[in-house]
Amino acid sequence: MLNEIIQTIPQVLIDGLTLGTVYAVIALGYTMVYGILELINFAHGEIFMTGAFIGTTLLLLFTGIGWISALPAIVMLLTVLIITAVLTGLLGMGIERLAYRPLRHAPRLIPLITAIGISFVLQDIVRFIAELSKGSYIVTGPNLFTNQLLLKTSSISSIFNDASIKASFVIVLVTAVVMMIGLDIFVNRTKWGMAMRAVAQDRETASLMTVNVNKVIAITFFIGSALGGATGVLFAVQYGTIDPYIGFILGLKAFTAAVLGGIGNIRGAMLGGLLLGVLEMFASANLTLLTGGVFGAEYKDVFAFAILITVLLFKPEGLLGKPATEKV
Amino acid sequence: MPILEVQNLTKKFGGLTATQEVSMTVEKSSITAVIGPNGAGKTTFFNMITGIYQPTSGIILLENEKINGLKPHDVSKAGISRTFQNIRLFNQMSVLENVLVGMHTHLKAGLLGILFNLPVIRKEEKEAEMHAYHLLDYVGLADLLNEKATNLSYGAQRRLEIARALAANPKVLLLDEPAAGMNPKETKDLTELIHRMRQEFNLTVILIEHDMKLVMEISEHIVVLDHGVKIAEGKPEDIRNNPKVIEAYLGSGAVQAG
Amino acid sequence: MKKIWKKYEHNKLAHGIFLLIYIGVTSLSLYLAQKSVTAFLLLLSSLLLLYYTKFTNLTKWLVAGIVLVFLLPFTASHGDAYQSYMEVSTLVGIYIAMALGLNIVVGMAGLLDLGFVAFFAVGAYTYSIFASSQASHFMPFGTFPLSGESFWIFIVIGCLVAALFGILLGIPVLRVKGDYLAIVTLGFGEIIRIIFNNLDRPVNITNGAMGIPSVTPPRLFGIDFLYPSQFYFIVLVILLITIFTVRRFEHSKIGRSWKAVRENEIAAQSMGIPLVRTKLLAFAIGASFSGMMGVVFAAKQAFVDPTSFTLLESFTILVMVVLGGMGSVPGVILGASVMTILNLQVLSELTNWLNQLSLSGIISIPYALSPAKMQRLIFGAILITFALYRPQGLIPAKNRRFDEKELQRLNRKAISENKKIEQKGV
Repeated sequence: MLNEIIQTIPQVLIDGLTLGTVYAVIALGYTMVYGILELINFAHGEIFMTGAFIGTTLLLLFTGIGWISALPAIVMLLTVLIITAVLTGLLGMGIERLAYRPLRHAPRLIPLITAIGISFVLQDIVRFIAELSKGSYIVTGPNLFTNQLLLKTSSISSIFNDASIKASFVIVLVTAVVMMIGLDIFVNRTKWGMAMRAVAQDRETASLMTVNVNKVIAITFFIGSALGGATGVLFAVQYGTIDPYIGFILGLKAFTAAVLGGIGNIRGAMLGGLLLGVLEMFASANLTLLTGGVFGAEYKDVFAFAILITVLLFKPEGLLGKPATEKV
Repeated sequence: MPILEVQNLTKKFGGLTATQEVSMTVEKSSITAVIGPNGAGKTTFFNMITGIYQPTSGIILLENEKINGLKPHDVSKAGISRTFQNIRLFNQMSVLENVLVGMHTHLKAGLLGILFNLPVIRKEEKEAEMHAYHLLDYVGLADLLNEKATNLSYGAQRRLEIARALAANPKVLLLDEPAAGMNPKETKDLTELIHRMRQEFNLTVILIEHDMKLVMEISEHIVVLDHGVKIAEGKPEDIRNNPKVIEAYLGSGAVQAG
Repeated sequence: MKKIWKKYEHNKLAHGIFLLIYIGVTSLSLYLAQKSVTAFLLLLSSLLLLYYTKFTNLTKWLVAGIVLVFLLPFTASHGDAYQSYMEVSTLVGIYIAMALGLNIVVGMAGLLDLGFVAFFAVGAYTYSIFASSQASHFMPFGTFPLSGESFWIFIVIGCLVAALFGILLGIPVLRVKGDYLAIVTLGFGEIIRIIFNNLDRPVNITNGAMGIPSVTPPRLFGIDFLYPSQFYFIVLVILLITIFTVRRFEHSKIGRSWKAVRENEIAAQSMGIPLVRTKLLAFAIGASFSGMMGVVFAAKQAFVDPTSFTLLESFTILVMVVLGGMGSVPGVILGASVMTILNLQVLSELTNWLNQLSLSGIISIPYALSPAKMQRLIFGAILITFALYRPQGLIPAKNRRFDEKELQRLNRKAISENKKIEQKGV
């Protein structure tokens, strides 16, 4: 049994890292907003989903008018990524302005409820537009970067099987890593990043220090949502088919990743995302084997939630977070 | 006879020491004040006694029974009740309901009793309402019984917290800055109220307070904390003239200059 | 005009006459025009009018009883639409009970539970498994399906099993702080659905995605309950019990401790309220309502499968609570009725109507826009609008009003008696 598990490890790692980078970048959005407002932005998964749809639409549009032949695919993808990021970023800012800012002093239940509401509205608007223009809400994007590479992991050691990689994996991985590094630099090295950290620490004191709190929060939403939307595009490129309901469960898992890494901690979110992706792929590949056929791959979502609950119970501050005590 | 004894109480938050080896003894039916500059660890001290924080080390004895390690609701059951520095009322509930919640541990109603609305339960509820009303009357809020707690004035909210704490019928009452934000008239009324309570309910009162006039007037014993350490304790007149205390409050230059 | 309204507002007799006329007219129109959904809905809304009259509670309950037990089933019973009216009314009842359960958790105890439908599923599966041949797949003894008479016991069993599940889920979940609870319950709701969806192996307990068919109908005195018009009365009785239960708890020591925990956890603890136990109780009682109705639902459908218990269902119930007013029993009843009727009647009627219009070529509505598919948009819009502009809901929760004069009198009496005793003592 152990042999079989080890054999599949290269493939599990590759699939896990692909999924993990997606989780990681979405988790960034959750973690940034939570760090600053202590609010679970339920709508974040839907922003990711909207990004996937905007991106796919643009890609279809560009391929339709023949840019694909005129431009290298990678340039086209970058253009689409940037446009999508800006649009979803603005969407995130709009949501904050409309649905969260007026409720900053309301009981904590209330903004959570609007967040759920926003999620639903976004799902249905996207479904509606997709159905109206395409006839179905399940949309398949153009095939880009489909070359398969075979990674000869068996040549490293005979205990491994070979693993196959889609070319898009490399693109997803590189783009996601660039985005994460960019964010890390932004938060730690720039003036606005510093303001952001200040607001996350203590909103009132920051505002006394002439930090424009509303602006910082808006920027946080913009960046988080832009990253989420761009990840949506990457997701669509990697997995091909999207529908308006992908955001919810994926968002939930990305949130799990954020909690796993330590909510409010940006590097934690990256770590948590990658870890969760690999763990989930490992589970879906080996659960049947490990439990002697009792639990199959269909339990992989259960597995992810089990991680979330375990972390919250036994290490609520996550892997990289600091324990918090409530002020009395 | 001591009712509450605290021995070597230490609380650390990560690397930060909030209180260090604080010991004190509180006599039954006395009024004790805990004073000290901001950040001296006074509220942390209260939070440890009431079970909200677990002390890093040290012992808390109530009538010679160890109570540290107990959950806050068990501490309340054991006979310690408190008010909060940053008022914590049940805002959307009515004034009378707030006091009724204070009686929680003394009501015997169980699941089935409530479900079948047994006469015993109805009688108990009625009596609880009467007692709650009596306590409201006692702190001067009887005419506001149906008002939502959040609609009360600041001073009234402080008094409601006291009524709610009294409803638990405690042996020891902890008041965390009861006079904060009150005007002189309200403070005077409060002083009177604390005296009355102690006498009528045979209560032991421990309070944290910054209003020195009130502290000196009301307390029989004063404990001074500074940076988490007990720097002095004694009768009001001793504390007033204690150079260490003056130094803690006014800075090191003050004593030499004076 | 204002004067007349003022006069009317305080005149019970006028209320009574108006209400009687209203009920009379609407029930007559339903009787005469069996197909009129409008008449049916108007008759139902007489209960809302009744709520706002100034009669005593007893009178209100009696009138509501007459309308629901006699008038509604009778006037609707003379046409083809009878069963569909009763079906709607039955489902309204089921959803009200669930919403009342969730209201205890969300509205009173302030715990956002997003996986509430799990308990409904537990109830439904509890009955279906044993009241069909499903149980014979794994039970070493006994003959299955159980007879229809067992249904009545299963209502209680469903209630208890769901409560037990509430406690079992609650023990880990409720230790989680604040906002995380929403996510964790959401996760648990999904876990339960996934488990039901896959528990056809290694041992076939739930028959997986295929669902459990031919669930035995309830039986009483040799009569099988097959039609919605029969289930209607079962639901009515259970609903009545749940409403009374909620009312009892609401103004008791337990209800107060829920609200105290919602308002301020630290203060509640310091007043002697055990946090975890209080929250668990809210979870268990809320779940038990769902469990009971799950049993009824399974028996009514005679078939269960995991698709009836999706996330969307949990959110639907949440919308009912938020719309009606968190913590408010009459509000939640209204919210649940409005949402169920909107879902089952209004949206589908609207869709039919629009389809007809498109067919006859008057307007053309794209399929994607059909109102029946806009549930999420409508739910979302309701959640946002209410959270932003009316967080207290349609009928806000009210605190119990205590009788000031009575308490004052009793207090004075007690004080003077105490004084007498003191004087005697001296």
